[in-house]
Amino acid sequence: MKERTSMAPVRWGVILTLLSLAGVVVLFELGIRSQWTPVLMIAEIGLLVILLIAFILSFMRTGLWEFSHKPLKALDEREMEMTSRSLRAAYAIFTVFILGLLVVFAVLNISISIVLAVSLILFAHLLPGVVIAYSENGLHF
Amino acid sequence: MENRKIYNRILIFRKEKGLSRVELAKRIGVNFQTIGYLEREEYNPSLDLAFRIAEVFELPVDMIFSISPFPSISQLLKERSMEEGV
Repeated sequence: MKERTSMAPVRWGVILTLLSLAGVVVLFELGIRSQWTPVLMIAEIGLLVILLIAFILSFMRTGLWEFSHKPLKALDEREMEMTSRSLRAAYAIFTVFILGLLVVFAVLNISISIVLAVSLILFAHLLPGVVIAYSENGLHF
Repeated sequence: MENRKIYNRILIFRKEKGLSRVELAKRIGVNFQTIGYLEREEYNPSLDLAFRIAEVFELPVDMIFSISPFPSISQLLKERSMEEGV
């Protein structure tokens, strides 16, 4: 059993995960709209690796992912309350974000690529964990 | 509705019983992390959980939980010695 861990490194890991996810989408969009250059491909692969490492370290190893993906029966009453609050906030954030994004894409007449769609699914699953990372004072890992 | 803070003596009674957080957690059916939250009074337990804790400590619920802060042990001892006229 470890003692209470500071949330600062977890929060930085969460930011890195989200930024690398956004970076993967932006580079992919750049690649398909202009041309895939070797530099762009290496940068894309590099960002994917960073995304994977940041995700494992900040979501999987800290239990953030588990909180919103465990069956309800496996959670106790405090965890259920925390998960419920995070899912509620994540739902509100995701709804506003996705509607804003759809409006921008409709105005600019941009199509949604498969990479963007997959990234949005991953983003929706990451959000409850992000909310927990920023609303809890500390977690016991 | 804003929840009132519930004070408790879980830490004192757990130490008295010689239980670790993990052991107490197993006996009341919660994650061990939740014991820490309860002891730091960062989480108010449900009535069911409060009764389960009381059963483990074999004490009435109102001896473990209160809506006002509990007096410290030194304060209690001082009051007791004054009552006894020591």
